[in-house]
Amino acid sequence: MFSRRDFMRQGLLPIFAGSAVPAVFANGVAAAAADSPKATPSDRVLVLVQLAGGNDGLNTLIPFQDGAYHDARPTLRQDQGVLTLNSQLGLHPNLKGLKASWDAGQLAIVQGVGYPNPNLSHFASMSVWETASVRGGIGDGWLGRYLNYLDQVGESPNHALEGVSAGSLVPPELRSKTPVTALQSLRTFRLQPVNEHGTQVDVENPLMKFYSAFKGAGPAPFGALLDTTLQEALQASHALQATDATYVAKGTYPTNSPIASALKLVAETIVSGLGVRVAHVTLGGFDNHAREKPVHDKLLLDLDQALTAFMQDLKGHGLDDRVLVMTWSEFGRRVKENGSAGTDHGTAAPMFVLGAPVKGGLYGQQPSLNDLDNGNLKFTTDFRSVYASVLQGYLKAPASDLLGGNFEILPLLKA
Amino acid sequence: MDDAASRTSPATTRPIWKRPVSRRAVLATGAAGATATALAVLWKGDALSQILDRVRDLTHAYQGALNNERVRVAHLLRRAGFGATAGELDRYLAMGTAGATQVLLDYPKTSNASLDAALPAVDPSGGRGAATVAAIQGWWLQRMVETARPLEEKMTLFWHGLLTSGLDKAGPAQMFTQNQLFRKMAMGNFDDLLKAISKDPAMMIYLDTETNRKGKPNENYARELMELFTTGIGHYSEDDVRESARAFTGWTLQGSQQRRLTTDSVFVPRLHDAGPKTFMGRNGNFTGDDIVDMLAPLRVTAERLSTRLFSFFAYPNPEPEIVHHLADTFQKNRYNVGAVVREIFAMDAFYSPKAYRALVKSPAELVAQTLKATGADAKGYVAAATAMAPMGQVLFYPPNVAGWPAGSSWINSSTLLTRINLANSATQRMRTALPTQSLDNLTRTLVDGNLSPSTKDGLKAYAAAHPGDQAGLLFMVLATPEFQLN
Repeated sequence: MFSRRDFMRQGLLPIFAGSAVPAVFANGVAAAAADSPKATPSDRVLVLVQLAGGNDGLNTLIPFQDGAYHDARPTLRQDQGVLTLNSQLGLHPNLKGLKASWDAGQLAIVQGVGYPNPNLSHFASMSVWETASVRGGIGDGWLGRYLNYLDQVGESPNHALEGVSAGSLVPPELRSKTPVTALQSLRTFRLQPVNEHGTQVDVENPLMKFYSAFKGAGPAPFGALLDTTLQEALQASHALQATDATYVAKGTYPTNSPIASALKLVAETIVSGLGVRVAHVTLGGFDNHAREKPVHDKLLLDLDQALTAFMQDLKGHGLDDRVLVMTWSEFGRRVKENGSAGTDHGTAAPMFVLGAPVKGGLYGQQPSLNDLDNGNLKFTTDFRSVYASVLQGYLKAPASDLLGGNFEILPLLKA
Repeated sequence: MDDAASRTSPATTRPIWKRPVSRRAVLATGAAGATATALAVLWKGDALSQILDRVRDLTHAYQGALNNERVRVAHLLRRAGFGATAGELDRYLAMGTAGATQVLLDYPKTSNASLDAALPAVDPSGGRGAATVAAIQGWWLQRMVETARPLEEKMTLFWHGLLTSGLDKAGPAQMFTQNQLFRKMAMGNFDDLLKAISKDPAMMIYLDTETNRKGKPNENYARELMELFTTGIGHYSEDDVRESARAFTGWTLQGSQQRRLTTDSVFVPRLHDAGPKTFMGRNGNFTGDDIVDMLAPLRVTAERLSTRLFSFFAYPNPEPEIVHHLADTFQKNRYNVGAVVREIFAMDAFYSPKAYRALVKSPAELVAQTLKATGADAKGYVAAATAMAPMGQVLFYPPNVAGWPAGSSWINSSTLLTRINLANSATQRMRTALPTQSLDNLTRTLVDGNLSPSTKDGLKAYAAAHPGDQAGLLFMVLATPEFQLN
């Protein structure tokens, strides 16, 4: 059987003209306008927030009572203002919004997340997390496999906004045969007309002819990629232009914050009912081998403010029970700070799972600061266990099939 | 073709990079008689769909395009440089492929005086013409477009993508200084370049060697030197990372200026850990230079750099035989990079059907070739360099220490719209200055005159419907899928 996507890939889909919105989007808008309680599990949205470069987990979820923490971090330790969660642990002082979510029972924190034989290379370790395979590699991403699964079971909305990445790249987590749209701004996500002596000439139809038959012209590997990409881009562009005017943010996003802009863009695509299933945003800059503190403090502040605005926005639109946010980073950092007031590459770190569907609390075990492996924490929870918990408990997808193994399901989510 | 007929020795007797082009490609370039013969042969032996496939190849001549010398030279200029204007293409074509290759490789003999005269002043020491982000980006893009030494700029871009540093940590004057270092050492010995980059202020800030002190080692540079710059992952231990970090202590930024303004470095013996170290099984009181001297001769380093260079110039995932041969070349020539590049351009594999349009134009290549076609003024260079960000490549600002991922990752829904829109704004910006050119001339210069039937028909229809709109027509050529590839 052909899915609609197969038709699109083979260039069989009729070219849609002008600003008409394809039916699937019209339905999407209508569905979003309807009450969310009717939403099926596949209407749920997972938003991944990648903390790129290796987030310092010990200065995120802080063991403020542990003498070993203070000894290991003579200049980097957070002495004041830690937002206590219990007698031992607290959040970084800049994570006030996350603390409020914690108080509201909407923040789950999984402690000591990592994997066996940790790799201290950024890129090797990212690949492990992205593919959910400790061998890493260039296979499909773990969420790409989820999108493929939606397609197989007929739950896929079958269009290019099913997976959205805010940025100029499609992240490897979403890599699969399913099209994913990289979005940077709605304003620029369109083909500009040609100005011919003051007259606007629409070039979409002629260009679509180039890009519907290039694959068949027999060129090297990129013919099909170019053809389908322009078709998907224009499909998504039409859908976005049709809804652009209607979205009004109901959260206060900080200005001059790329992570806030990225999350706002994701919120807009979700609120506009464009059928987003998974979204990805990246906050980079965590690889602080030197002068870490001011940089890390600012990154966590930006993260907290952006997430807070995003959750407010979704709540304001009545969509908060359909959206789950999960943070990850390729590794934590060395327990003992180095001589540059920074930290070198490490291993285990906490993950945040945030949103109304969450059963708030601490999960897993805080790794010991006195039982280290080459100066690094020993992980206590396998990251694939967190993935499995979200896939099964929230997205209602067959976690062991998608992850290629059985991992402990943590009770992170409401039923 | 006579040439093709003479190349019928069994493939197994020749190395893969010297094998004749495929039979299909030879057929595709044949004269009408040969085409008829080929068709007759095919008709007897193949299913209808395969026959139709081959008829399309024969008529489209896509795979055989590189048997035409004008296309070969255009291909060479796209790969060794940033494409060509019609005038440049004619000039190199007059030298023949071999002559053009020689001139491109021996670029120190080519004067760049007219570029130097045209470039805006950039002063890394501050003051008037101080290096700002926009200034150095526009400056470099202008170099790519207007240089008389295209390979020099292309290799500079190669090194920027491999030995990465970025404006997220280093200052623009430092990135400018590093860029000049790459240009100066672009085709020299790899070990010399690694020793120089280890002491380069932008790199020292980007990978934290400036804070790497005796008793306070910082692993950042040592790790990436092995993982990304030389051996690749899997060829060193965590102990090697820790020990070599100690070896790189001692170099620090010179002078009393702010750290992001300092463009000189200095060795301070008291900051250097001169004690004994164990690195890759060897013991000694190693310095950073000693570490480079142990990494450069490794076979894995030779193979990794060879793979990277071939993939940059010819096509990705080269055959093992090709990597082996290039790694031999590298090692026999005292780690000389120029020798490897020269060898790549001499390979038949470089002109094989597998290489033709086998790379996606990086944003730098796309924008530079676009500006060659449209022309640009100083403001145009800065504007175009800025417009590269949503295409996924900001000069002097790689996404992370691994550089740009390249290949198919350049193309997604967002970047493709941006790439096409850039061609639109660049042509509109210069619309009153564009010379009148026929569609045939435009496609010959920009896309080898080699278009899919639907692109060709579409362009003709556009030209007929919009007579006299030179900017619109040029835009349409730059917006083709063919132009997205290199």
